[in-house]
Amino acid sequence: MSARIEEPTTPPETPALRDEDRSLIEALRETLGGETLPVQPCADEIATVWVPANAAREALRFLKHRSRPRFPMLYDLTAIDERSRSRRDGQPEADFTVLYHLMALEPLREIRIKVALKGDAPTVPTITGLWPTASWYEREVWDLFGIRFDGHPNLRRLIMPPTWEGHPLRKDHPARATEMGRYSLSEQRHIDEEEALRFKPEDWGMERQSDESDFMFLNIGPQHPGTHGVIRLVLQLDGEEIIDVVPEIGFHHRGAEKMGERQSWHTYIPYTDRVDYLSGVVNNLPYLLAVEKLAGIEVPDRAKIIRVMLCELFRISNHLVWYGTYAQDVGQMSPVFYMFNDRERLLGIIEAICGARMHPNWFRIGGVAADLPDGWDRLVRDFLDYFPPKLREYDGMVMGNGILKARTRGIGAFNTEEAVEWGVTGPALRATGLAWDLRKERPYGGYDQFEFDVPVAHKGDCYDRAVVRVEEMRQSLRIIRQCLENMPSGPYKADHSLTTPPIKDRTMLDIETLITHFLNVSWGPVIPAGEATGCVEGTKGLYSYHVISEKSTIPYRVRIRSSSFPHMQIIPFISRGHTVPDLLAIIGATDFVLADVDR
Amino acid sequence: MNPVLHSFLVIQGVLIGLMTLAGVLVWIERRLLAFFQDRLGPNRCGPFGFLIFVADGIKMVTKEDWIPPGADKPVFVLAPAIIVITALLGFAIIPVAPGILILDLNIGILFFLGVSSMGIYSTVLGGWASNNKYSLLGGLRMSAQMFSYEVFMGLALMGVVILSGSLNLREIVESQTGLWYVVPQFLGFLIFLFAGLAETHRLPFDMPEAESELVAGFHTEYSSMKFGMFFVGEYVGVTLISALIVTLFFGGWQGPVLPPIVWFLLKTMAFLLFFVLLRAAIPRPRFDQLLAWGWKYILPLALLNLVITGAVVLAQAN
Amino acid sequence: MKIRPSIRKACSENPATVETAFYIVAVVAVLTTLRVVTHTNAVHALIYFIVSLLAVALLFYQLGAPFVAALEVIVYAGAIMVLFLFVIMMLNLGREQQEEERSWTRPSVWAGPGFVSAVLLAVLAWVISAEGTGPAETAYVGPEEVGLALFGPYLIGVQLAALLLLAGLVGASHLRRHERRTVLRDDPVSEESQSRAGPEKGGGV
Repeated sequence: MSARIEEPTTPPETPALRDEDRSLIEALRETLGGETLPVQPCADEIATVWVPANAAREALRFLKHRSRPRFPMLYDLTAIDERSRSRRDGQPEADFTVLYHLMALEPLREIRIKVALKGDAPTVPTITGLWPTASWYEREVWDLFGIRFDGHPNLRRLIMPPTWEGHPLRKDHPARATEMGRYSLSEQRHIDEEEALRFKPEDWGMERQSDESDFMFLNIGPQHPGTHGVIRLVLQLDGEEIIDVVPEIGFHHRGAEKMGERQSWHTYIPYTDRVDYLSGVVNNLPYLLAVEKLAGIEVPDRAKIIRVMLCELFRISNHLVWYGTYAQDVGQMSPVFYMFNDRERLLGIIEAICGARMHPNWFRIGGVAADLPDGWDRLVRDFLDYFPPKLREYDGMVMGNGILKARTRGIGAFNTEEAVEWGVTGPALRATGLAWDLRKERPYGGYDQFEFDVPVAHKGDCYDRAVVRVEEMRQSLRIIRQCLENMPSGPYKADHSLTTPPIKDRTMLDIETLITHFLNVSWGPVIPAGEATGCVEGTKGLYSYHVISEKSTIPYRVRIRSSSFPHMQIIPFISRGHTVPDLLAIIGATDFVLADVDR
Repeated sequence: MNPVLHSFLVIQGVLIGLMTLAGVLVWIERRLLAFFQDRLGPNRCGPFGFLIFVADGIKMVTKEDWIPPGADKPVFVLAPAIIVITALLGFAIIPVAPGILILDLNIGILFFLGVSSMGIYSTVLGGWASNNKYSLLGGLRMSAQMFSYEVFMGLALMGVVILSGSLNLREIVESQTGLWYVVPQFLGFLIFLFAGLAETHRLPFDMPEAESELVAGFHTEYSSMKFGMFFVGEYVGVTLISALIVTLFFGGWQGPVLPPIVWFLLKTMAFLLFFVLLRAAIPRPRFDQLLAWGWKYILPLALLNLVITGAVVLAQAN
Repeated sequence: MKIRPSIRKACSENPATVETAFYIVAVVAVLTTLRVVTHTNAVHALIYFIVSLLAVALLFYQLGAPFVAALEVIVYAGAIMVLFLFVIMMLNLGREQQEEERSWTRPSVWAGPGFVSAVLLAVLAWVISAEGTGPAETAYVGPEEVGLALFGPYLIGVQLAALLLLAGLVGASHLRRHERRTVLRDDPVSEESQSRAGPEKGGGV
């Protein structure tokens, strides 16, 4: 599958470094002692700077606290196995690269710091002291790449089971079960695996008792009706008061990033659908934005607006599921049924347009899979008329309910600063009073054409998160109405040679066009070499895909940065001192999808 | 009729009636909930799914009866029996209609309070004996919850006792000719309703079970007919509370035209449906909130109700 | 209030049945109380205790004091025992405690107290037999009588008991008041603070 063929068009120009980035990198260089820092051009115009491993921590501290602007959010931290790369054009020698992606929110600025590492068991200093959220990211990188983080207080596997051998995202680790030895579960191994899952408080620096009482350690999950999926939360309880929580994730890990390394650019799209399985096509978009940046494809207007409309339909659909389960989690039995009924209507529209409901796999490189069907406008209009009164009804039933307010107000609160510190985005960030929405800050995919408000709330507790989401549904309705009334005509897919599936109009003329078409269908397009991040305001926060192309039919690496991951990580921080029912309210208000946490 | 035969028939009638009612209630509750929630509910088994309770019963009896290895076996087995026994015993004092009364006890209300306080042991011991942390938490919640609400329940009843001058339920019903006690004792009625819900631990006060928090609380480890006993006990308990509300505040069997027993059943059924509606509508408060509301608001209100009722009765007597 | 002296009626009609019932209940009470003392499992002992209290309540009932019987069930068997159970559930007693209990029931432990108690029992039996009492005169004591007695001649006693309970209540709530654990929500924003409970203490939670 990895055959390389010459690209039929010239690659897009690599954008030059912007002035403000240049001065920032200059300041960074001075802080680190004047050594030249290699700058890597990327297709997405985010400044990418290589920093020596021993200076990484210093560089990040500078960028967090002293640079201008300051970058208070550690947006992503991941790694790249560089050992089988062939096109590194001017990048420093490395076996592994650790990639730090920082973000400044007001105004939006991003910078990537890359650290080159040598050898088979590389180490790099930890930054858990700088950002608490780095802890899970570093554990993930250790787990999947085998890169050690010096000074990390608890560097243990996060995603894979503790008994796993090897580091799956290394290029030499098999990607399929058929490449590995035959699996058998002997009785002894079964016992060992079970034992490995036993929670030992001492490993986490937890006391078994205080001066006053013995603590109870309670496993919530992996199978529990309140967790909405397979996750284990180990609670340290004093009575019903939560002293500490240890979330244990990875039960839903399917290796979505590893799969990317053996799917063609086109055939990877269905896998993205299943990352945040409640948001359907919203997952397609960041991946495609990244790929389209690499390929230099400009998506036509109609395709853009169709994409926006589908994304907003899915935003409502996601929020409806959240709305119902949120009420369910605080013990209200009925709303979930009403909301699933409404979601059913919505999925009916999505099915009519896409042909599938939860995982439509409908966006394509350069556009969408098909044009809107006849009569789509009637379906959408019906829903736009039907839904607002329902929302008002739910306001009274759920949001206005006194018991629900008593259960969720003041529970699991954090402020804007803490949210940024922990990498929290989306409705939870907006609930802290910061009107920050990527669709406004850096409109992508045609969102600049729409009129909508960014709902905010101010206390940052569970109730406020709910308030923001409910209002977001109304704003989505506004956007959908604008889509409905101003749907442009024109093609639904870009006229570009790298779009998938390739356009058929120009084939069947001669053998050349036939071969090109045949190859583009069977092998898929060859995307120009480079790196790019595609980022969208997803239903739960920022979703982004960082893709690296080696000018081949398959990605060299796909990194999925999901928003549920940091949202899950902050749960211990906001749960301490609350009680078990509060934890369930917090979980309900967090709106995570475990497939999105584990990927 | 021979008095022994008469009382035997009454006892059998009440028992069989109750067990059937508990079964029918399962069907009614599921159908009603489905109706409230825009769905169908059980509609396959028999006409309108009516026979679902038979199917449920068969399912429960034939399931594997599992006792967890770490459980305290005798207590584990004892616990579900207690709830059914106490709930059924409570019916002994309910005057269904003139002449249909198992036990004409002159301390009827106290008997009910005593029996319902015995009912706690079922859930608490079940929670403890299961050797499961969720069950234990459920049992702990249950003991604190019932312990608190027993107090309010007793206090709420005292207003009725003052007005009627009797602890005998038959006499209380008879003294309500003309004016049901729900009018002078509206506060007492509300408190009793609230406390009754807490006692029978039904949603919204089902903290001891609290599905989304404690899996199934005290009966997490129970299966087969042992679980079925908890199930039956809960429904009989709800019926008992409804019957008591009717007896104490809504004139019991009294009513025009229709025969007394029909009135009694109609009124009781109305409250049962009301409980189902509550279950469908209201979220669950937090456990400590429930206790705090109880001690901070309900207790003073109950005392106030008691003092005012006493004062009014005294003033009228003078 | 109209008193319905059904029990007295039963007594006079059929004293033999009542006596049999009395002895059955009394034997149950004694046996269960013995099991309370000798049982090594706290919860099982407690269940015996509850049965014992119920038996005593029945005795009260037979002696014509239904109100006291009901109170015995509601207050002792229903409320106080639940509190006991509540505490025992929280103590997390295991097999070790049972072993410990068992070690306390060796003869060397109970022989002394047992002997002294036996002496007392003997004296009691002697005194009673010397007095030569017949079957007790049962007088019906209903709620009204109890109420009148409590708020009449024994008013001071009731008030003193109320004061004592209030003191107990205040004391209990004071004992329970302890300093809240200092920092439940630590500050993650301070730079490099090593005291942070996040990744530093708990290890990457």
